[in-house]
Amino acid sequence: MEKLNKYISITISLIIITFSIWFILIDKKEFSENEFRYLEKWPTLTFDSFFEGEYIKNLESYFTDHFPLRDNFVALKTKVYYDLGQRLINNVYIANDNFLINKFDKPQNSDKIIDILNKFQANNKDINIEMIISPTSTSIYSNLLPSDSINYSEKDAIDYYYNNLNINTIDIYNALLEQKENYQLFYKTDHHWTTYGAYFAYKKYCEVNNIECYSIEDFNIELVSNEFLGTTYSKIFWNKDSKDEIYAFNLNNSNFTVEYLNKTTNSLYNNEYLNKKDKYSYFLDNNQPLIKITNNNIKNDNEILIIKDSYANTFIPLLANNYKKIHVIDPRYYNLSISEYIKENNINNVLLLYNINNIDNDLGILNIK
Amino acid sequence: MVFSSIPFIFFFFPIFLIIYYIIPFKLKNIILLIFSLIFYAWGEPVYILLMIFSSLLDYTCGILLGKYKKKKIRNLILIESIVINLLLLSFFKYSDFLIENINNIFNLNIPLLNLPLPIGISFFTFQTMSYTIDVYKHNVKEEKNFLNFMTYVSMFPQLIAGPIVRYETVHEELEKREINLNNFCNGFARFLTGLFKKVLIANTLGFLWVTILDNFYDFSSLTLFLGVISFSLQIYFDFSGYSDMAIGMGKMLGFNYLENFNYPYISKSITEFWRRWHISLSTFFKDYVYIPLGGNRCSKIKNIRNILIVWALTGFWHGASWNFLIWGVYFGIILILEKFILNKYLEKLPNFFKHIYAILLILIGWLIFSFEDMNMLISFSKRLIGINTAFIASDFFFFIKNYFIIILLGIIFSTPISKILKEKINSAKYKGIYCTMAFIGSIILFIVTISFLVSDTYNPFLYFRF
Repeated sequence: MEKLNKYISITISLIIITFSIWFILIDKKEFSENEFRYLEKWPTLTFDSFFEGEYIKNLESYFTDHFPLRDNFVALKTKVYYDLGQRLINNVYIANDNFLINKFDKPQNSDKIIDILNKFQANNKDINIEMIISPTSTSIYSNLLPSDSINYSEKDAIDYYYNNLNINTIDIYNALLEQKENYQLFYKTDHHWTTYGAYFAYKKYCEVNNIECYSIEDFNIELVSNEFLGTTYSKIFWNKDSKDEIYAFNLNNSNFTVEYLNKTTNSLYNNEYLNKKDKYSYFLDNNQPLIKITNNNIKNDNEILIIKDSYANTFIPLLANNYKKIHVIDPRYYNLSISEYIKENNINNVLLLYNINNIDNDLGILNIK
Repeated sequence: MVFSSIPFIFFFFPIFLIIYYIIPFKLKNIILLIFSLIFYAWGEPVYILLMIFSSLLDYTCGILLGKYKKKKIRNLILIESIVINLLLLSFFKYSDFLIENINNIFNLNIPLLNLPLPIGISFFTFQTMSYTIDVYKHNVKEEKNFLNFMTYVSMFPQLIAGPIVRYETVHEELEKREINLNNFCNGFARFLTGLFKKVLIANTLGFLWVTILDNFYDFSSLTLFLGVISFSLQIYFDFSGYSDMAIGMGKMLGFNYLENFNYPYISKSITEFWRRWHISLSTFFKDYVYIPLGGNRCSKIKNIRNILIVWALTGFWHGASWNFLIWGVYFGIILILEKFILNKYLEKLPNFFKHIYAILLILIGWLIFSFEDMNMLISFSKRLIGINTAFIASDFFFFIKNYFIIILLGIIFSTPISKILKEKINSAKYKGIYCTMAFIGSIILFIVTISFLVSDTYNPFLYFRF
């Protein structure tokens, strides 16, 4: 036994020293593409930060953030948990057909958000305001979840909003549910819907508003990437061989002018993101505070303002085919009054588009006024 | 800083060890002291002064006790040490609790102090106090060297979560101790055992407990029962894991601390449980409170009183909240019942029922221990016995499928099975295979532990209230 302890101690001591030296020598990245976040920087020591414990806390994050082979270690942990029988790891379910699906908990802020939105409607009485709250894969593909999974019902959460909002709401839940076997409506490795998911929301929106809707066959459907590993993958680093495909739906001869705050282009997409980890940002160039999209092929002057989270980034390129001009505001990054914007631009139609999982924690929606 | 963290395992401890082993023996205590102060400052920079004050106080008391032989003066010195130590502890730990209750009773609005609790204060005040008492009773000679004394008080392996190491246990080793490869390796193996217990089992089950606790209104009775079991396993693996790490590191430095846990969950009675759980604490209260009060060498009534006092204090020591007091008194009453009534009947029961009896009472104990909010405790307990909720529902199947293996491992490793197995194999012909497997297993577990630490957001420190 004594000998055994000796072998173990010496080997593990060597492992420790190897990693310590490796850590010191390793190139410290600023941003983790895999995790979609900035890594902790070496904290600056100040009197206050030290005595309030901030310094130490940041220093400890610095050590775990920059640890050699961090991604492999996270993957190893998932593997161990999986082998121990766990199917819910870091709030992500490992579901059938390689789907990685977020757990959905009961929303905490619904009443607060409903209040803000009803006030927004009251401030803009003459404006036609509509809202879509999308479900996520948690409910649409609930059949793939491990049995007995513990989620709050997304349908109930959406209905709670719909029953209490004074805004016109559009229920897309069943429209998605009907198509879930025919098309892949949500990414396997990401929390967003696919362009197909967005398409059936678009279709429902057009039906409700009596807009002539393009059918799937009308579009050129282009596979722009088959290497997408999204956010749910990044939470657990599970099964990196199961990658998602990203499609873009475009009409022939489309002719857009897209004005961002700092540039104007003619494309609704940014190809640069296809070579990065964060490929969903291909749509509408990630999340911009304000975008104005003009469709030069349309003769009428229908305008709409879309207030949204990232789910709308795949939806807007579809709807852009039907409107002369779409204003897009992401209130997470747009800090001015939206009611003012509506007045200044003489807008009559507004669509709010959110997904039920994000809306509860979306700090932007609290800024709407 | 906690032991089970990347900075500690990969930087603090190795750097310290290298220096500690290189420098000549004379300087080892100073290095240990300096690193202990850094270790402490890592979490609580201001309160270093408090620890130094407490050490200085009892160091002085010790010197004075060595000097004066008159009973009256000695009594005075002793009382002074006890009073000041307890005042320190009470001020930082219990003043807000007192203010809150005064506010509640008299309908006042005295503002709370909101002082952060100095880490380890419950441990180091007890250690310094026990030193003065031991010198007073002539159990040990006073320590003349302040650096040695300060090293004893602040020694980082046992500073923040025990065990409560008495001066008499280590005073010889402060002067002279064996630092060699054998001790290093055996201590290191012990440290690893504790690390695995804490990171792999305690943290995982702790996460289960928090998950259940956060939404317990939605869950069925059996899920809540699973929660109580996971908390019971968590606290054992967490606390005994810390003790293992402390004892292991002590050994690596040449110190031999006493054991603190001895498989408490295999107890057949509550009396036995408290001989196996947090041994350094129960012996502390036995030696410094129970016996001085007269112990059991007095009338039955006084004996009962003594037991109740000791257990109320033990409970209260765990935190400034009513539930800890209730928890202590709860065990006090069971111990009294066992001592005077139950033991006669328990003896006749088959072992199986004795275990069930003890485990059930222990689980109820942890239930009380885990809720500081009495209303939460009541509504949780109601649901636990099936009021306001289903007995079993799909949530239970989900949790049991996800956590069955880890709970089972927890139960297995809270019994001495692996120890017995190891001893059997040690003398058998399979030794070679066993050693190979144990070697490979340890390396794998260590790699897995790193992966948990690197990615884990759940690595709580349970003893911040002690």
